Amino acid sequence: MHVNGDPVATPAEADHGLRLLDYLRDHLGLTGAKEGCGMGECGSCTVIIDGRAITSCLVLVGQVLDAEIRTVEGLAAAGHGPLQDAFVARQAVQCGYCIPGVLNSCAALLDRDPDPTDAQICEALDGNLCRCTAYNRFYDAVHDAAAARHPNGAGA
Amino acid sequence: MTPGAHAVGTSPAPWVGRSRPSLEGNDIVTGAITYVTDRREEGMLHGYVLRSTVPHARIDGIDVSAALALPGVVTVVTAADVPVNALGPRDVDGPALADTVVRQVGEAIALIAATDARTAEAAAGLIGLDLTALPVVDGPAAAAAPDAPQLHESGNVSGAIAFSSGDVEAALADAHLVLRRSVHTPAQEHVAIETPGGVARWDADATSVTIWCGSQNPGLHQRKVARALDIPQESVRMIANPVGGAFGSRNDDPMPVFLALLARRAGAPVHVHMTREDVMAAGAKRHPFWTSIDIGFAADGRILGSAVRAVADTGPIITSGPNVMKTSAEMSTGPYGFDVASFDGTVYYTNNANAGAFRGYGVPQVAFAIENAITEAAHELGLDPAEVRLRNVLDGGDRHSLYRHRTTTSLNVRATLRTAVEHPLWAQRRQWQAGAVGPWRRGTGIAVAMKGVGMGSGTGDTARARLHIDDRGHVIIWAGPNHTGQSIQTTYGQVAADALGLPIETIDVRVGDTGEVPESGPTAASRSTYAGGAAVRAACDELVERCRGLGLPLATDAAGVGTKLVELGEAEVNAEFRLPDTDDIGIVPPEQLATFAPHRVYGTCTQVVRVEVNTLTGEVRVPELLCVLDCGTPINPAATIGQAEGGILQGLGMAIMEDHRVSEGIPRTTSLENYLVPTIADTPRMHTLFIEGSEDSGPFGAKGMSEVVVVPTPPAIAAAIRDAVGVLPQELPVTPERMLALIEEAPCM
Repeated sequence: MHVNGDPVATPAEADHGLRLLDYLRDHLGLTGAKEGCGMGECGSCTVIIDGRAITSCLVLVGQVLDAEIRTVEGLAAAGHGPLQDAFVARQAVQCGYCIPGVLNSCAALLDRDPDPTDAQICEALDGNLCRCTAYNRFYDAVHDAAAARHPNGAGA
Repeated sequence: MTPGAHAVGTSPAPWVGRSRPSLEGNDIVTGAITYVTDRREEGMLHGYVLRSTVPHARIDGIDVSAALALPGVVTVVTAADVPVNALGPRDVDGPALADTVVRQVGEAIALIAATDARTAEAAAGLIGLDLTALPVVDGPAAAAAPDAPQLHESGNVSGAIAFSSGDVEAALADAHLVLRRSVHTPAQEHVAIETPGGVARWDADATSVTIWCGSQNPGLHQRKVARALDIPQESVRMIANPVGGAFGSRNDDPMPVFLALLARRAGAPVHVHMTREDVMAAGAKRHPFWTSIDIGFAADGRILGSAVRAVADTGPIITSGPNVMKTSAEMSTGPYGFDVASFDGTVYYTNNANAGAFRGYGVPQVAFAIENAITEAAHELGLDPAEVRLRNVLDGGDRHSLYRHRTTTSLNVRATLRTAVEHPLWAQRRQWQAGAVGPWRRGTGIAVAMKGVGMGSGTGDTARARLHIDDRGHVIIWAGPNHTGQSIQTTYGQVAADALGLPIETIDVRVGDTGEVPESGPTAASRSTYAGGAAVRAACDELVERCRGLGLPLATDAAGVGTKLVELGEAEVNAEFRLPDTDDIGIVPPEQLATFAPHRVYGTCTQVVRVEVNTLTGEVRVPELLCVLDCGTPINPAATIGQAEGGILQGLGMAIMEDHRVSEGIPRTTSLENYLVPTIADTPRMHTLFIEGSEDSGPFGAKGMSEVVVVPTPPAIAAAIRDAVGVLPQELPVTPERMLALIEEAPCM
């Protein structure tokens, strides 16, 4: 298992039945992934597993022993600093509790498609609930990030 | 601009009116921020709350022996172990833990602390409960029945408020049109994405407790904890942020009391984090209301009089029930000026979900009744719905229709309406409607709203701020109300920078910690920017005045001035802002001023909504929405717009999807699988505009706005549905099933 680019010790067999969310938070001290519902509905525990945005409350440790996992703490190192900056600059953040999951959904999208459309952003974020902001600034922030990451591309 | 870039003799650019990103934004996007439920303490135990699964039962016995025997369990707390088993001074505030009776599903019965969370939960399952079922009071009608079981010694009426400014029926006798209508608005769950929880640490030597737990009213929670543990208030420290959202839910929440009880009994730090299912059952909801209105109009659309009656269900304990109804009473005449009005509202205790504070606080419920009536009247009278509203709205300084008290001159509903009707969303509504395709019909609706800022006249509503300047010229300001997601300290910093004329980077604002922040009341009633900001302003003004009196050049040599003030023992300032009462209380009896608490200051809002209705499936889509705000000076405009958009989306949820359903006392919406809140795909494109205005009593002319934005959304959506398919929903939410039924029952299409 790699987390945020670094190898982590293979989890003990007794821990294979833990939710990945709990393993990240309680064993690895990565509290960026948040619990909001425990059933994959709110998206605040979303992390990136082998390139896909997935709710870590529905994943068991034993399922991801060989996976590349990325959490909000590793986004900057993965080249998503511009995405993080854009969320702050666009004032797309209020209480912020949903934001780690939102950012991971956006980062996985940007990795798949460097210049996503609004429809793609909407689809990517349809599993992330935010109760403070009403979502609209997420579109602007993702477009800003796309432009910043590819200054000569179509999104610039 | 960096602090050092400041030339002597120049002032920093004004910060008020400039959008400023949240101060904790960087920590949020990197995951570095530690929310109260992220907190971990050395030797920390994990807590769990055993809750009732039945709505009403007598407790004949609680056996905790098997739970205590489970390896890893450190302590179990029941009612008998709580020094003062009460969440407030009155019986109706309810116990901390159920003692002789349980009165709702989700009521806390026992607290468990164990070495890990799984063991704590497993122990809860081993607690033996000997319960005898009691008849369930399943709603206000059952509560009011002559032979109803009485849920409190004082009976089943939690509160009642009535007022009349004249003979409404006499006024209606001369009306060209009289409408008598009833509406229903649902219980709504806040769904703050962080569920309640946190950590408490008991200090045995000092017999004191520190609690990290979200709160909209840290001082109130401090007092609640002190009461329950029977320790002095000074022995309780509430650190109430960072927290992942509130919207009213952290006003009545007993979680700080549970954490403190566990930490004290266990003698170790204890962490609790509620499940979403527990919040759905136990968290206080928006009060479900049954509201009826009799309202009369002249042929030209002028309102001649209205009588509003409302019934609300507050569940088994009082929480905010009567105060919510007090707000409903004041806002039952909407933002309209007319001669005769009455209100009669009653709040009942039931065995349904407890209801409490929720953004809007009783206003969305009654506004739905009055706005729907205006919408219908416009159609009946053949008048433009915006024009009918323009003919009736209050202007600044006018007398309020019910209490006849004087409003502030900053009130400007008219400008919000005028701005809205000129916007293309309204002006081009017929062209847009004509573009409807297939089963999707299009319509546009408009609604207006007004809500008081602060607690109202006669309540003594006060916010405080403490300021200190050090020998580097750096300023720390401890202020309240607390931050529960709106980053109020970012706004307070802008107020302080301009009031002091100092670089904003040299000002540090701290909120939400009762160990440092003076008592400033709740993050509620749209008062944080207005009252908290005014207290910050007052502290800064006092420092500036002090420097002027001493001949010290604060703006140009803050370090030197700070050094001098520290030497003089003059480096600290305490200030307060007391909410001004209305200049003229009208016909409210002076001795009952706080009972009715009319406001001097109001925020107002007009919204225009586009809706598409699928006539085959009943689906309602909201593609675009305009919000025009009368909030005085927006101190941090992008943050203000963010508050508006978030509030609107909660109003949209209430209008078309959110419904916390309880039947026979059993919650039927139990998780986010069956309680739906708006996702990004449900969210309209939104435009928020400010009208020019200034409230003299607010900091730099600001007044509150975070609640009023919720209010017009449901009736504007209902009006848009009326425009699209010819039927006006009177019951929320307008689910596809309800929409289809309305279309099918409509007399002609």
